[in-house]
Formats: sequence, structure tokens, C-alpha cells
Amino acid sequence: MQNKLISLSKAVEMFTRDGMMYASGAGLPVGSESIVFGREMVRQKRKNIHYIVHSCSQQVNLFCAAGVCDKVEAAFSGLEVYGFANGVRRAVETGRVIWEDWSNLSMSLRFLGGALGWPFVPTTANIGSDIQHKSAFQPDTFPCTTKIPEITDPFTGKIYGALPVVKPELAVIHVTMSDVSGNAILLGTEWGRFELARAAQKVVLQTDYIVDTACIRQYPNLVRIPEVIVDAVIPWQLGAWPQCSVGVYDSDEDHMNTMNRLLGSDEGCAKYIEDYIHSWRTHDDFIKVVGKANAQKLMNNVTSHLLAPYRSWIKSDGEITELMEQSLFEKKGSKT
Amino acid sequence: MNYSKQEMMAVATGREICDGDLCIFGVGLSMLAGYFAIAHHAPNARAITEGGIYGSTPVGGLPWGIEDNRISANATCFTGAIDALGFLVASGRCDIGIIGAAQVDKYGNVNTTGFWDKDSREHRSHPRVRLNGSGGANEIGCGCKRVVIMAAHEKKRFAERVDYITTPGYLEGGAARERYHFVGGGPSAIITTLGILRPELVTKEFMLDSYFSFSSIEEMKQQTGWNLKIFPDAKAVPEPLTRELEILRSIDSTGMLKKK
Repeated sequence: MQNKLISLSKAVEMFTRDGMMYASGAGLPVGSESIVFGREMVRQKRKNIHYIVHSCSQQVNLFCAAGVCDKVEAAFSGLEVYGFANGVRRAVETGRVIWEDWSNLSMSLRFLGGALGWPFVPTTANIGSDIQHKSAFQPDTFPCTTKIPEITDPFTGKIYGALPVVKPELAVIHVTMSDVSGNAILLGTEWGRFELARAAQKVVLQTDYIVDTACIRQYPNLVRIPEVIVDAVIPWQLGAWPQCSVGVYDSDEDHMNTMNRLLGSDEGCAKYIEDYIHSWRTHDDFIKVVGKANAQKLMNNVTSHLLAPYRSWIKSDGEITELMEQSLFEKKGSKT
Repeated sequence: MNYSKQEMMAVATGREICDGDLCIFGVGLSMLAGYFAIAHHAPNARAITEGGIYGSTPVGGLPWGIEDNRISANATCFTGAIDALGFLVASGRCDIGIIGAAQVDKYGNVNTTGFWDKDSREHRSHPRVRLNGSGGANEIGCGCKRVVIMAAHEKKRFAERVDYITTPGYLEGGAARERYHFVGGGPSAIITTLGILRPELVTKEFMLDSYFSFSSIEEMKQQTGWNLKIFPDAKAVPEPLTRELEILRSIDSTGMLKKK
């Protein structure tokens, strides 16, 4: 198995481009999400992204506020108990971002269909509602008959819906732990990450921990994303901040609210980018921005016991630095 | 009155849950109502979240989301959206779902997607006010045997027709759901900040079933955007019992219901 460790900045340079169909995972509003990858995309000024995501997250909120994306397809646009996502609202209400609505099951089914190579996925939900009848991408047509076309069950003659499958060009997925080649274990809800990882044409993992492959061989049943479908692995502890990573850290209540407040205006968004994206380049500096004491507080939480079985296999920062030097992306003479 | 209107709403919603039900709750008020029911009168009800977290009880306060650490600390199973919303909800296994509504109409159709200026579902531009969208509510509305809708009872939110059908209720009323062969039975109640509406058996139009003691038939009619009909046996909802309030408040340890 290849060592696929890659630095955050190089991963964004190599795997993203303007105008691409980009997906992030898990795409949860409070939990697992590849947020630090999104911060780096903002730093590298990516634009015109067609964003495919299960639900809203602070990454979606940031991309909408900062003008990174102009189209979004998702099931949910809020931040749950943290409230409406102000960056999303502002962009959608001014027409700057076109938001196509789906539902949580339909996003997963669209990934599943893409993963299986199916032409479409039959659905018993969404039909009869305006998720079927209204398309933000085709605003002049009502009822829209091409977003979720009606199909007839060939066995019973009953009417159902056909969901279009989706195969994002790239999925960047947050995981709790991975080995250097991309065998990943996810704590907490998997949400749609299993099928997203198989639907995307390229998969990059953003992981809180790098573990020894011995850990993977001890718990192979728990490896829901195997290295055979993974292209690169970014080690970045606290990478889902200010959202939570089950077993590792809590959502950061203060920063969730601060971030959402700032993303509610152009001036605030500019300030956010200055203070929380341009203010760091290295992981050490990133942790300073989070705040060392704050990070420790977030890591002392009610789910810490979930990490216990894996702790002995977690690689230290020093070990990760050494492993990084042996990566296929870093070796001398590598094409990259 | 030794309880808040929100607490009355949560207790009334909790009373809709029966012992043994397989239940799916959203975040916030619906989760509080659900966990209240389990602690109070439905010890064998089982709660799932649409994220696929099963068998857990919140720790340390009301969860920030359906995937939060507070609801992940003592789970018996972590799975995913296809499992929860597909295998358990869309399949028809789930007994009851509780969803919120920003706007609801007389056939129990729910809008949580947005408000438009043009008073029609044929609006062609982006919304004036963007709301949250479906999440898993659409599947819950299609697949759960019973659906309970929670909404603030204000005239602008109780409309003749919603701006956008995020989650289907009875669509155009009567037998309209049958065209789509939904496995779920449709909404069984709308619990509002003033009382409870239930659907008429044949037309599926929501009518006034009961009112909270601090409200009245008159107030509910005034705050409804359609001509609200009244069931002949409309009555007052029993006030929360002391034990109900004690248990509800122990679930609501972060005081969400008191803030509103």
C-alpha cells in the first residue's frame, strides 16, 4: 500500500480547480466535515465551485459568504440549533448562489447511485412535494418534470420518482483516523460518507489522527473507507473545527456563533478570512488560532472514551513528519 | 400558570408518543418532546436520529445537532443516513416522526424551505427569505406511520397554501396522497403554540381539536390563515401535570424551553 500523506496546501493545489464539481463530507452542520480543506480553498481563491454536499456546514456557509461557490446542491441549509447559516442566507436571498434543494435520504441515494454506476435511483420520497416540482436551476418551469422525473414501476404500474445520480469530481472527507494509505475509521454517525467516498472520482481524506496500519488490521470491520478508493490523506488534527469530531473534540460554541455572525456581512466575512484563514499556514499556528487552552477544553468531552481502543496506535506529530517525507507526493523525483 | 407556553407544547407533543413506538426526532423542541415522552410514559419507545445514531440519551444538555457529541456519548449503534432514513423511515418501519414547520397549510403540507413575495408556488426567482430546507423531514413525511408537526401559531405561518411544499401532508386534500403510494399515513396532528389541530377523516382538512388553557377557540381561529373549522367535541387540553413538568425540565437541563 502506498503512503499517500500530503500537505494541506499541496492537496488543494493538486486536487481542486475553479469551476469543478466539489463535494465535502460528511456535510454535517455541527459534526464531521472537512472544514480546514475549505479554509485552504478560500486562501487559494478557488471560485465558481459547483458544491455537492449532504447538508449545510460552516464550510458551505463560508463558501457562500466568500464567493467560492455559485451553485449548491444539498438537503439542508441551516446549522441546526446554532441557527440559520447567515452566509448561505445572504447569498441565496440575493441570488448570488443558486441553491438546489434535495432531502437527506435523496442526497445519499444520489451518491449511492453514482457509486454503483446506476443510471438513476428510484425513490418513494420527494415525489409530490416541491423538491420534485421546483428546480432552482430551471426556475421558469413549474411543475418541473426533469429534476425528479416521474417513473412507473414496471411491476405494479405505480408512480414513483427517478433521482439523478451524482459523481463529484472530488470528495474531501473528514475522518477520525486513517493510516497513511487511506484506510479510515469514522467515529460517530457515518452520515453519507460511505456512499460519497464511492461516488466521487477522486477522494481526499482529512483526518484528525494518523494511526498505524496495525490498528486497521485489528479492526478491519470498522474500516468504512478503504485505501483502494482514496487518493490522498491530509493529517490535520482539529480540522473540523469549529464543528465537532465525535470521540475527539466538541463543537466550539463561541466560534460557531462568531463565525456565523461574521459571515452575515461582506465586511464580517473579510474579517473572518483575515483573522481565521490568512493568520496561519502551519498546523502549529492553526492551533494557536483555535487557542491551545480552548483546544484542550474541546478535547475533554463526553465522547472521549470512544477513542480508547485506538489510542495506542496514534502517531505522534514527529512520526507524522517523518512519514510525510516518505509519501509518494513528497519523494524526490515524484511527478508532483 | 406555573409553566411556559413552550413547555405546554412540548408536553402535548410528547403525549402523542406511545410506548413501544419507533420514533425519529429532529433537533431542538421535537427532541425534547420525544425524550420527555420516553422518560415519562413511553419507556419502551426507541429513538433514532436521521444521522443514524441509535439507542442514546443526550448527555450534558440538549444536543446542538442530530450528530452532536451530546447524543453520541452512549449510543448503541452508529450508522448512516441510508440506514436511518431509508431502511427505517422510507421503508415504513418508523411509527412516529416529529418535525417542525415554519409554515403549514390546511392540508398539513409543511414549508421549511423559504418565503417568496409572490403568493404562489410558481415563483420563478430566489426566495425573499431562505429557511433551512428539508433535511430528513421529507422522508419522514412520506414514510412514518404518524407525523406530528410543531409550529408557532401565527396567521402568516398558518396559510391557505404554503409557499413551497417541503414535506407533503395531504397535498390537495382528500385522497391526494394515494397517487404517490406513500407508505406513511401522513400528519396526525399539528401541535401549535395555542392548541392542537387534527385532520378531518375524509377531506383531510386540519380542524381545531383542542386548545391550551391559556388560549381559546377564538384566538386559534384568529391566528389561522384559513377558515378554521372546529370539531364538535373541541375541548381544552389538560394542563401539564406536576410530574410531567418535573420530567420535562430534567430533560431540558440547558433551559431551551425557558429561553423562548
